[in-house]
Amino acid sequence: MTSNVLLRCRGLSAAVEDKQILHDIDLQVPQGEVHVLMGPNGAGKSTLGHVLMGNPAYEVIGGDIEFDGADITELTPDKRSQAGLFLSFQAPVEIPGVPLRSFLRAMMEGRGEKMKNKEFRKKTQALAETLDMDPAYLDRELGVGFSGGEKKKVEMLQLLLLQPKLAILDETDSGLDVDALSVVSRGMELYREQCDGTLLIITHNTRILEHLNVDRVHVMVSGHMVAEGTAELIDEIDAQGFERYEASISPSEGAHSGRPDTK
Amino acid sequence: METTHVTIERASAMPAATWHFLNMNDTQIEMPEGLSIAPAVQVSEPWAARGAADEFENALADAQVEWEKSHPAPTAEELAEREAYVAAEVDATYGGTAQSAYQIAADAIEESRSLAVAFEHGTGDEAAAYLRYAAGDRIVVAVKEGQSVDAQVVVSAVPGAVSAAAVDVIADANSAVNLSLVVDAPTAPGQSGASAGITGTTVRVFADEGARVEIDRTQAVDGDFTDIDDMGLFTAENAQVAVRQTVLGAAASFTGLAGDLRGDSSRIDVDTRYLGHSDQKRDFNYSLRHHGAKTKCNLQANGVLAGTSSKTLRGTIDLIRGCKGAEGSENETVLLVDEGVHNKTVPVILCNEDDVAGNHGATIGHIREEQLFYLASRGLSQQAAESMFASAIVEQAAIDATTDAARESVVRYGERLNPGFADLFEE
Repeated sequence: MTSNVLLRCRGLSAAVEDKQILHDIDLQVPQGEVHVLMGPNGAGKSTLGHVLMGNPAYEVIGGDIEFDGADITELTPDKRSQAGLFLSFQAPVEIPGVPLRSFLRAMMEGRGEKMKNKEFRKKTQALAETLDMDPAYLDRELGVGFSGGEKKKVEMLQLLLLQPKLAILDETDSGLDVDALSVVSRGMELYREQCDGTLLIITHNTRILEHLNVDRVHVMVSGHMVAEGTAELIDEIDAQGFERYEASISPSEGAHSGRPDTK
Repeated sequence: METTHVTIERASAMPAATWHFLNMNDTQIEMPEGLSIAPAVQVSEPWAARGAADEFENALADAQVEWEKSHPAPTAEELAEREAYVAAEVDATYGGTAQSAYQIAADAIEESRSLAVAFEHGTGDEAAAYLRYAAGDRIVVAVKEGQSVDAQVVVSAVPGAVSAAAVDVIADANSAVNLSLVVDAPTAPGQSGASAGITGTTVRVFADEGARVEIDRTQAVDGDFTDIDDMGLFTAENAQVAVRQTVLGAAASFTGLAGDLRGDSSRIDVDTRYLGHSDQKRDFNYSLRHHGAKTKCNLQANGVLAGTSSKTLRGTIDLIRGCKGAEGSENETVLLVDEGVHNKTVPVILCNEDDVAGNHGATIGHIREEQLFYLASRGLSQQAAESMFASAIVEQAAIDATTDAARESVVRYGERLNPGFADLFEE
């Protein structure tokens, strides 16, 4: 397994404004696998996603991140993206003044992919239709006036267009109705089919995982990685919640007092 | 016939001046000598009605009669009472010092009780007169009660010449007018052998009771031209005027819009989008005077400044005594792409009435951190992101163009700015 590890972080610790959020995180995601990162609110799951993507709001204070055989700990987010890392945002930002299609084209051109406009329009339109998205959205300002569901569809559209080596999906399912959830699930399946993509899914909701073969599950509590196991962990958490994992963390400073049994 | 050198000293002046050292109370427009007068103007035909040359003056005169019926002149007693009140206010507020030049001028306008005297041009009378002279005969769009008309005027830049149009819009009660103004550069730079020239439009709008007027002006001329966009608006009761201005080209552009919200519950909305790059100069002046009760105005400006371009925006909302329930707001977003740009903004809200609201907001700066991270997470460096914002202004203008002529003009400009741009809009 170690020969095809796509993402590996070792002893990763991060802070924001001198407050430590992540404590000594170890994580390995082999190429082509589906991993799920679970944990209660405030566990640091989204922070880990952002730190992996290189969000400058967080400072890495220990450990390193290796992606596709290279140390990316010091790389800027645009370089990480160019290297094949993707983060789907829990709350995608709005960018007034920039039509969605202009943004998508700039994104592709940034990767040196010059596509004839006709071809580009055809491709983006087809992807929009696949995701049950009105193609008129492509001419609208990025995210401005989009519903929560439309914003998540735009994230999926970018995922399918970029076909990154590893996609971190940060609560992509949050706040979606059943229809939008099924569209997002379809996007994830397509990504897997089209490019044998690797997924790290951050979620509370197990429904989004129903159509995916999950390889490994990681559990975070209070900024610590407290458990790792097979897909069976999902059912267990679904039934019992995070209580026993939370109990494994001492209340003082969220210090880790040992991992529960893993499978 | 060729032009002589003219300098318009106090063009686009703010009604109420601020500190002189800020150097932004007004602007100066240089009209070079030796330009030919060559209005290259195309007017879409047919439209329902072409009005008489004096239609605007007649409409304003009729409105004057109606306005006087509902606003009788004050009696000698009321005037004396008012003078005493003003004197007391001046004494209490300014310790007996004299009124400012603005207050004196504003009082003179109000005391004249004349709609014609109160009517203003956004760039000022001198610039408007220059354009009117260069334009020749006015294009008069007169729409009868309850009717609806789409009209289009295309002004083509002519190297070595002044090319201008003077347009009057008279919208009778409950009529609707959509006017598209395109200021275009059909000739690529260098092809003609000549260089700088002037383009311009001067537009007067009379929107009668309940009328709806929409004006979309798109300017996409080459970098060595000067463009002047002058407008003066009048709204009667319940009338609504919406203006969208897209400023993309020209070495120097001067945009001036003045509006008299005279009728109760009337409304003026202005949506301005602009791009400044290289060493381009952008100058905007807005002056909206609320006379009627429950009138509304909304000024929205969004721009991107790159290179060593500069921009000045003066936005004045004047809530005049008697406009109870009026609301005025002005909002600006400016993205500063390069360190060498100069951006000046003076929002002014003047208030001489109690029950009114005046709002101002501005977002000026570089791309926000969270936006930058989002774009970076998609592979765009800061430089690539800023470049995308600049080209997006042009692209959005093409997408939002309301007429084929406007779209073609923007696409031509985009292609000159960034070869390959036209491919984006190929069907």
